[in-house]
Amino acid sequence: MDLSILFVQIITGLAYGMLLFMIAAGLTIIFGLLSVVNLAHGALFMIGGYFTFTFINQHLNFWLALLISVILLAILGMLIERFLLNRMYGKELEQVLLTFGLIFIFTDLVKWIWGSSPKSISIPPLLDASLTIGVVTFPVYRLFVVVVGCAVALLLWYIESRTRIGAIVRAGVDDRHMLSSLGINFKLVFAGVFAFGAGMAGLSGGLGAPILGLYSGMDNDVLILSLVIVVIGGLKTWKGAFIGAILVGMVDTLGQVWFPSFSMVLIFALMVFILLIKPSGLFGKGVDA
Amino acid sequence: MQRGKLPIVKKNLNKLVLLLTALMFILTACSQKSSNSSNTTESTNTTESTAQAAGDSEPLKIGVILSFTGTFAPLSESIKNGLELYFEQNNWVIGNRKVEIKYEDDEANPQTALRKYRQLVDSEKVDILVGPISSSVINALRDPIEKDKIVLIDANAAANDVSWGKKSDYIYRVSFSNWQNGSAGAAYYAKNVGKTAFVIGPDYPAGHEVADAFIAAFEQAGGKVVKSVFPKLGTNDFATYLTEVASAKPDLVFAFATGTDGIRFVQQYKEFGLQGKIPLTGPLELGDELITGPAGDAAEGILANAIWVPAIDNDANKKFIDAYKAKYNKAPNVFSVDGYDSAQLIHQAIEKSGSKKSEDLIKVLKGITFESPRGTITIDAKTNNPIQNFYIVKNVKKDGILQEILDTVPNVTMPEQAPAK
Repeated sequence: MDLSILFVQIITGLAYGMLLFMIAAGLTIIFGLLSVVNLAHGALFMIGGYFTFTFINQHLNFWLALLISVILLAILGMLIERFLLNRMYGKELEQVLLTFGLIFIFTDLVKWIWGSSPKSISIPPLLDASLTIGVVTFPVYRLFVVVVGCAVALLLWYIESRTRIGAIVRAGVDDRHMLSSLGINFKLVFAGVFAFGAGMAGLSGGLGAPILGLYSGMDNDVLILSLVIVVIGGLKTWKGAFIGAILVGMVDTLGQVWFPSFSMVLIFALMVFILLIKPSGLFGKGVDA
Repeated sequence: MQRGKLPIVKKNLNKLVLLLTALMFILTACSQKSSNSSNTTESTNTTESTAQAAGDSEPLKIGVILSFTGTFAPLSESIKNGLELYFEQNNWVIGNRKVEIKYEDDEANPQTALRKYRQLVDSEKVDILVGPISSSVINALRDPIEKDKIVLIDANAAANDVSWGKKSDYIYRVSFSNWQNGSAGAAYYAKNVGKTAFVIGPDYPAGHEVADAFIAAFEQAGGKVVKSVFPKLGTNDFATYLTEVASAKPDLVFAFATGTDGIRFVQQYKEFGLQGKIPLTGPLELGDELITGPAGDAAEGILANAIWVPAIDNDANKKFIDAYKAKYNKAPNVFSVDGYDSAQLIHQAIEKSGSKKSEDLIKVLKGITFESPRGTITIDAKTNNPIQNFYIVKNVKKDGILQEILDTVPNVTMPEQAPAK
């Protein structure tokens, strides 16, 4: 195989991985603090994409449309947390039922509002270019997704380790009872974190739409992969999601090149393998703590 | 805010990991059927028929099984629109009978389809069936249909075997077969576009059938297939395959890509700088509104072998397009034509036989001819598959993407038996 082709495949894998990272990060941040597996996360991702699509059709430019949908998704997340989820803390099965039920509601709403025909968003003009590397051409937009993914990771790292909010969240992950006895308004923190996670889903939905398109059922496709990533990377840690997403993106892409018929199996094989050596996932902390 | 409301969290992560893993597999297994809503609507008649005594004024009950959830939802919606447009134009009556439609959603799952089929046949007691989208569904329904002796008008499922090994006197296809769709354009592409081809098709039965038919016809026309790849159905990212295309440098690419996969494929073909560099050709899906509409400019320049495009010049087509646009406020696609023709075929068969009994219907359905927006269509009595023209079309940009007809491949007829391999 030509070296330039290998290089392009690696970038492709990275870009896909970064997109998955942004989705999975929201999922794992919410799980980390709230201990809620938000199964509706894929649906939020989908809604983020459809919102962006709608605003672009209202002749807003891509960036503004993306920003508005991230904000709307954060508000939607806040509402879900305040009015639904807050009744279910500590009840895992009820949470699963609730968020699973939300999937149905959201997918049917999407079909009702936007119809079942697939939609697409064109790449913003600024990034609608291609780079030529050796014999192959590569769309700049994907490089941009890699850059955004890395920026999000940096931002998360900064917030977590350098800000007061980060400290509060870290404390909450370790011991939420202590958090509230320190006089911190945990309701606000929970709502805020859920909103942040939902906003991340919106961001990845908007950014992913030009690559993946918009269709009913896309929520499921990404939900499965993000769950795999969360399990591989380790629950409760976005760093795990980062590494997990890159791994899954790479395995998926390079798997398609070398073992075209097995690429989906490879991802699950990877998951099984990692769970066998490290049952808590790559970055997971003490399983039975 | 009460203190007592503080969430109590069990730290039993093991259980959760287990739960997650189990969920993942369930989700993977049923990712085709993202929701379970059954899409049952009844079309109510506008005119109450008063005469109930005579046998030929009993209402006609049509059971429609399509895949309203999942990847095939847009196709199903289009077929439904086409069906309803036709019956609405005929005031929901055939002769003295009023027409009722019962819809069921099979979620593209043969098991679900069988359940819905039993519901339609046993409880609803429908007289005739229209459907399905998926070839695996028609394979599952074929034997019960033979046993129950109920006529199925196949509005989309393209599996070749429905016309060959699994042919049934009760199943008539109005749409097209994979063999037709794969082979019809191959000779034109070999003669006018280039001699080496790179073939891409989704990794499921239809993908392989279309690709096989294309490869056989293309090589017979003196072409050579340099490579064929089969990405999984529902591939998000075709980057790896497109990179392979770029390095293989074929004269043309023949891609079978449907639904959302098709839109992504066409767009990514452009993003990876292949549009305009290596000609993209494909079966009818690549020259149809369902893909070219959302894909926009990226679809420009694609060649496809279509059975229907708006540019086909006949009265039936003009009327169909105008009526469709007036009713639904959007452009029709080839699947709406298939729905429309299914309704038309039922109408003709009932009128001609003067009965709604399966045994009478199948006598007139064999070899029946009707005026479709596609042109005149004859159902081949040997294969129960339509004999129809294919049009070599090119997507051009004019106020959106439209298809320009370059050539006509007349009367594409399925062979009576599977070609020897």
